Parts: sequence; C-alpha cells; structure tokens
Amino acid sequence: MSQRDRGNGNGHVNGNGRLNGNGHAPLGGPGSEAANSAYAEGVIEARLGRPALDILEATVVLEAWTGAPARSAMSTAPDLVSSDFRPRDANPSLEASEDREQQSVVAEGITLVLSILSVAAWAIPLSRDYGPHVLAHAIRFALPIAVALQWGLRSRYLGRRHALAIFGRDGIAFCALAMLAVELPLALIHKSGPIAATFVAIWVGGAIVSRRGWGLVYATTLVIATIALDRHAPANLVLGSLTAFTLIVCMVGVLTRRQSTDERAGSIPRALLATLLGGCTGALLVADPTLGWGVRGLHPAVSLIPSVIGSFWGGYYLWNLYDVIPRGLSGMPLASGSSAAFRGPGMSIFLGAMLRLVGTTVVLSAVVSLIGHWTHGADAPSLFVAFGSVALLSLLIGLLESLALRRAALVAAAAAVAAEVAWHELAWRSGIHWHVSGAALIVGASVGMLLALPPLIVRLARSGSVLATTLWIQ
Amino acid sequence: MSTPSEAVIPLVRDRVDSTPETASVEPIAPTAPISASAHPTPAAIPRSRRSRVLMITEGTYPYAVGGVSSWCDAVIGGLDHLDWDILPIIAGGKRLRQNFVLPAHARLLRSIELWSEDAPPRRAPRPRRRGSGSKLPSQLLRGLLPWEGSLTELTAALVRCRERPQAVRREFRDSDSWQEFLLALVEVLAVSSDQSAPAPVYDTIEAARLYQTLYWVARTAAVPTPPCSLLHVTAAGWAAIPALAHKAIHGTPFLLSEHGVYVREAYLASVNNASVSLGQRHISTRLALGLTRATYAAADMIAPVTEANAEWERGLGVTPDRIRVIPNGIQPPTHWTKAPGIKKVIAMGRIDPLKDVQTMLLVADEVLQRMPEARFEYWGPATSGQEQYARACERMHEQLGLGERFRFMGRTADPHGVIRNADLVLMTSISEAMPMALLEAMAQARPAVATSVGGVPSVLSGCGLIAAPGDVHGLASAVVTVLDDPNLAERLGRRGFERLHRRYTLARCVTGYRDLIGELVNGAA
Repeated sequence: MSQRDRGNGNGHVNGNGRLNGNGHAPLGGPGSEAANSAYAEGVIEARLGRPALDILEATVVLEAWTGAPARSAMSTAPDLVSSDFRPRDANPSLEASEDREQQSVVAEGITLVLSILSVAAWAIPLSRDYGPHVLAHAIRFALPIAVALQWGLRSRYLGRRHALAIFGRDGIAFCALAMLAVELPLALIHKSGPIAATFVAIWVGGAIVSRRGWGLVYATTLVIATIALDRHAPANLVLGSLTAFTLIVCMVGVLTRRQSTDERAGSIPRALLATLLGGCTGALLVADPTLGWGVRGLHPAVSLIPSVIGSFWGGYYLWNLYDVIPRGLSGMPLASGSSAAFRGPGMSIFLGAMLRLVGTTVVLSAVVSLIGHWTHGADAPSLFVAFGSVALLSLLIGLLESLALRRAALVAAAAAVAAEVAWHELAWRSGIHWHVSGAALIVGASVGMLLALPPLIVRLARSGSVLATTLWIQ
Repeated sequence: MSTPSEAVIPLVRDRVDSTPETASVEPIAPTAPISASAHPTPAAIPRSRRSRVLMITEGTYPYAVGGVSSWCDAVIGGLDHLDWDILPIIAGGKRLRQNFVLPAHARLLRSIELWSEDAPPRRAPRPRRRGSGSKLPSQLLRGLLPWEGSLTELTAALVRCRERPQAVRREFRDSDSWQEFLLALVEVLAVSSDQSAPAPVYDTIEAARLYQTLYWVARTAAVPTPPCSLLHVTAAGWAAIPALAHKAIHGTPFLLSEHGVYVREAYLASVNNASVSLGQRHISTRLALGLTRATYAAADMIAPVTEANAEWERGLGVTPDRIRVIPNGIQPPTHWTKAPGIKKVIAMGRIDPLKDVQTMLLVADEVLQRMPEARFEYWGPATSGQEQYARACERMHEQLGLGERFRFMGRTADPHGVIRNADLVLMTSISEAMPMALLEAMAQARPAVATSVGGVPSVLSGCGLIAAPGDVHGLASAVVTVLDDPNLAERLGRRGFERLHRRYTLARCVTGYRDLIGELVNGAA
C-alpha cells in the first residue's frame, strides 16, 4: 500500500487508486468533451450492445456504470441517442407455461374413470345388498354432488401449482363445511342417503388422493373393495372401510404436502360457480330416468367409460390453448392482431380437442358394444351418444368457465338440465313412450351445446382478440 | 390465471418478497422519539378536527420488511396527531404476512391486489358522461405510452374508471376495444420524439401484454378511496394511480415521497434483464415514465430522500419549489464502540444485480491478494426472482477460490450487531437512493467504502471513501486503505457517527414530514 492510495476521508477513489477532491466521478477520462462523449457512447454500447433508445436509458447507464451524477448524465444523454436507429429484435421465445392445469386434468381423468369402473363393478353386489332402487337413488344423489365438489375443489385448490399445500391451509374448514353442508344432510336421507354419503366421500377423496400422485393407491383400494364385494363381504362394511381408508389417505396426503407456499387459493366466487357448473353436469347424468343407474347391472356405468376417456384426452389437449395461442401470435404484426381466422391457433386447438373427444368416444363405444355380452347389456348406441354429448358439453362448459365467460357457461349448463327435464316431462305427459335410452340426456346436452358453441367460436376465431380480451383478462 | 405480463411494470421490484432491502430487517419501533416540539397527543385533538391522511404504499408497508416499510412505520408512528388510512398495493395470488402492527391512529384498508383473480370493484352505475368517445384502453394508451403522454386523456380515463368501475372489465373484454386499441397503438408508436429513438416494432403478443397491463391500471384506478385531507403516495408508480383519480375528482392535496426514482428503477430493471424483447422493454419503461410524469404533474409536493433523486425530478420537469428533500433517518445510539480491528469487511443487502455482488467478489479477491488476513461477510438473502444471479455469484465465488475468506451469511436479525463486529462496511451497488446500510454503518461509527451512485456521495461525505461503480481496483484500494490504517478508519467512523446525529436521525425525518404535511393540509384548508 503506497502513500498515494491513502485517502483523507473526504473523497473519491478512481481506477488507479487516486482520490479526487471534488467527490464526484468524472463521466469519462480526462480530456475534451468529445472524448467524454465517446467514452460515454462506449459504455452504453458495452452495456446494452446497441445505442441507447432514449435519453433516460442513456442517463441510467451512465449513472450506474460510470458513477456520473444524475445532472451530468442527463446533460450528456441527448448526444447519445440516435434518432435514426430503428430497434429490431428476433421474436422472443415464449416459455411454456406451467403444467399444473394439465396435471390436474390427468389426475381428475384417472379418478373419474376409476370411480365409474367402481360403480360399474359394484352395481350387481350393491344392488343385491341394498336393492336396485336404493342404489339407483344413492347414485342419483351422489353423482351430481361429487362432480360439483370435484369442479369446485379443482377451481379453488387442485388446479393450482401447490394444490395440496393450499388445500392443507383450508382443509379443516373445507372438511367441516363438507360434513355439515353435504354429508350430514345426505346421510339423513332415508335408506339411500348413507350410501350416497359414502360415495361422495370416496369419489371426492379420490380426486384429492389422485392429485397427490397416489392414484395407484386409490385404484388398488377400489380393486380390493370390488373383490371383497364380489366375494359377498357385507356392503356396509366394505363401503365404510373404503370411505375411512380414502379419507385417511387423503389426510395423510395433505399433511405430507404441507410445504410453505405463499400461493393463494382460487377465488371463492369462481369456485362456487365451478361447483354449480359441475353440479349441473352431474345433474344431467342422473336427470334422465331411462338410464336406471344401478338397476340394470353394469349398464349404464360402463357406457360412460368411452366418453370419459374421450373427454379426458380432449380436455388435456385443450389446455394447450394457453401456450399455443401466445406462440401462434408471437411475431404477428399488429395489423393482423384482430383478424378472424378459422385456421388460427385458437380454433385449431379447439377443433382438435373436440375431434379427440368425439373420435375416442366413437371408437371406444364401438369396442364396448362389441363386448356387450360381457358388459351385461351396455350396448344401446343411444347411451354412448348420450354420454358422448354430455362429455362434449362438459368440455365446452369447462372452457367457457376458464375463459371467464361465466354467464354463457351458466346459461348453457342450466339450459341443458332444463331441456333434459322438460323433454322427459313432455314425453311422459304426452303419453309418448320413448324406448330410446338416454334420449332426454341427448336433447339436454344438445341444447347446452347449441348455446355454448357460438360464444366460443366467436372468441376463438380471433386469436389475437381472445388472448388480449379473454385469456389474459379474466 | 397467471399470465406472463406480471413484470410489465414491476410492482416496486424486489420489495414484495418480504425480504429486507437493506440491513434493517427489524421494523423500527413506531414510537419514534420526537423531541422537536410538544405536539398534542392523539387524545388531545377531537377526532372530528383531526386530519386524515391516505397513505398508498406499493409492495412495502405493512407486508414487506425493508427500508421503505420502516420509514412508513416511523412516519406514521411519529405523526400521531393525524389519522392514517393505509392502502397497500400488492401482487395478487400470494398470501402476505403483515409484518408491522399499525398504531391506534392508523387503519389498514383492503389491499389492491394486482393480477389477482378477484372480481373488480362494483358500484351502482352512474349516468354516462359525454366524453371523447374513445374506449378506455385507447384512452389510457394515449395517456401513458407516448414519450410525453396526454395528461388530460390519462386523467379523464382514470376518473372514468373510478366513477364507473363496473364498466372497466366489460370494456377491456370487448373485442371492439381491442381493435380500437391496436389502431391507436400503431398511431402512438409512429409519433417521433427528439429525445428517443423510433419505437421498436411490436408484435401482437406485446400489444396484448400492454393491453393487459392497462387493464390493471384501470382496475387500480377503479378502487374507491376514502375521504381524506391529504394523499400521501410512496412511489410514483402503481401507488399513484388511486391518488391521481382521487385528486382529479376531489382536488385533495397530494404528497409524493420518493425513496428511489420509480422511472429510473424501471429503466435499470429493463437494462439488467437481457432476456426481454425490445417491445417489452419499451412497454415497461414507457408506462413507468407515463405514470411518473402524471404523478409529478399532480403532486403538490415531492419529497425525495436525497438530492440525487431531486436531480431526476427536476430533469423530468418538476419545478424546484415543489421539491423538498427529506433524508431518511434512523434512531442513532448514544455512543459509539471501537472497531474490533480484525480486518473484517461486511456488506449488507439483497443478493441482486443492482448490488453488483460480482464486483464485490472481485474487490474481495484483489483485497485478499494484498491483505490475506482480511475477511468478508455478505449479509442478506437473494431477491426473490434473482436466484439465478445468486447462483452465478456462488459460482464466481468458487472460481475465484475465495473459500471461507468471503462468506455469504444469509439474513440477519441483528444488523447493528453485525456491523459492530466489523471494521468496514462495503457497498458496490450500481444504484442506490439513500441506503440504510450506510446509515447503520455511521450509527455504529464504522467507515464505509461505497460506489458513487445516487445519494451515496452526499451521505458519505467526509466519513467514507467512494469509487465509481464497477471500479474494482478503486474500491479494493479504498478498502485496503481503510483496513490498513486504523486511525483513518476510526476518524471516518467517528465523523460518520457525528454526521448521522446531525443530519440523519429519525426525529429529523419525522419532523420534516410533520412540517410538510402540516403546510399541505393547512394550505388546502
């Protein structure tokens, strides 16, 4: 350390260790104004890799990387902005969005298929123990409630990145509310109520367990329960044990995922709307008495499987919307930002999802029909059409909801249920006996689809507009 | 749904993560010892005669811990002859813990959450005014995006949002609004200015991002604000939006406190983020500039914490008579302690590109070559979102082979203790306004070596050494100079301690605000 490096406590040290008595950093090295300006230009080019785009950018760079006082930097800055430099850059690559929604769809899909399979396989043994009508009643209560709760849970918790951690925060309150508002009133219903309550707990708990990534555990449990029922184990004991086990696994799943997160749960009004929409979808499934849940053995539960798998694949594909539309618009000039294109990214994803749903449902329905003797009569083509229509409507309503077209979603869902009920009433009062299973369901779902499609097509045909006004403004 | 434009105008970047901005990780007790005058206690003034101040914070008080939050707490606690309403603006989708207990004369209003899923405010519709006929997005665009936006259009748009909040979402979700916005955007981008290069070419994604940000500007303006005698805004960004609408409607006096210059920070953030497109950079800086200009135009008084900020304010057109520098202050200890003499250098602050930790590592490397017995400690966590930078610093630390001689220590709950056990405080930031770490060093009578940015030269005048930012050799020489000469170190430290007592005490800061707020409120009355 040489003497010249020593300061007097009131100064500025420059690059070679000398102190400047005035306490201000010079903009450039010693020399003329032109040299200062060249130095400043060099600093800016080195820092930005281009000229400054405006005087404030130049000022900030000079302040931060030369230590120039604001006034000095501001007075130098105007000379450093090139008015004929037209900045261009390659279109930035857009990162793929988080996979949380897709994970949630997968989990939900697996749970739903397993739930349906369990209903299908339990129909005969449970009908034997409780009687077919009691079982049918129980399913009619349980299915809409379970689907409603699953939609609501997904909207508020399970569709989020830290789903179970967030759910864990509200878990006790949610369980208490579910017990008081759903399970207890349900259990009080004569005969079928307690069975419905166990179904709801098993199916909704299954959704949480699957979201935890323990779908295999859940599936194994259902298989064991099915074998036990098949071997004439008492239905009450099996359902009770299964409910208890599902809830315990659910609790363990939540407790072991209690990591700290500052992510918030989804909004309550939105979750309530999702619950309502899920309830309508579930109600559609049970409002048509021609379906006879539980009365006719495996029929019609098995008939649901093709459409559920189709719906799952279609829904999974549809979530690409959030990635594909921004990618499709990257680099698109402003002049095309509001033009309509039926082959644009929005419509292509939408149509792709619909095709996947319909195609899968048709192919799998044909397979199920071919093995109809094994599935105890689940071979009525109208049933496959009915469930396929519900799946399609469910996809459309889900999309409307996720685009925050809430009124349209609600209108479509409510109109579908109303049309289904009205059709059945009309047929019954007019004395026309329809021997087509699921006719009312087809009518209801078709009405819902007719109402849901126009707002979606109008929006999705204009990819730029849908991104700006709908996807990014909820 | 989360969308990618949350970073278009940063919500007071780096403060929303509840991490300390500087060494002050503990809130300052709200009971600031004010000796300036015998002001009546809260109970002495009838509630009906007490003035009510609406303080609007942005990503800070009372949720985050840091310099701005501590300052808010001290000012509110010290000015108990006023009633305070606190309206925080925070990033949505996150749960925040309240880190400060509000005193009895302060009331916390419901936060405005940006990018949240919550529905916008609703109110009974008022009769539509005859206006320009433009839709909200285009009107806000013309007010905010041009180099010199139309303040008239902006004010009219913000007032529209406040008066008809239920129309905000509907207008923004209307495809006609989007079409009109695109046309207006093309026009605005074509306007040239001699102070800026031509605007970059936007694509539809960038336009959609801008559109979404303007929606949040509109939603922020739509939130109702309670009646008050004074609007006190703590940053010229998002926090100013509700105040701009309020002032335009009620004419309430408007005070802006600037800890950092908002537009300057937005520019620095964009310069430091090489991954954003030129379009995004243009959007973020222009919106920050638009908000800053509007805030400067509306504010009756601006109180920067340092003269360096005042330079920016004057540069952006604020007349000197509307600027009053009120430096930050801390509660100083009554006596100072001797340095341990172990050649320990500490730094306090977040691990963030603005702190230029990499330069600090290079400085440490050079110092250690010249003085192997020296030791360095860096206290503070990585800023949320800057984890990659923190990892790069760790890699650099490894490459330089600094080992245990330079340690990253993480958070501390006792910044004063940390400084007391050191011989020197080092700061290599490329941007600072009035760093609390330096005030804390002065409070403990420790010398500081720092970069000549923002208000640092004026704070350290006579009690530390400064060098240009990024000047590794200059900074290292200064560190060696001080460590090598205990007498010089003690002299600098003592001068700092005395200077702090003279100029940077909390009482002085609170008194400055008491006088200023009194003038504004009484002037309006």
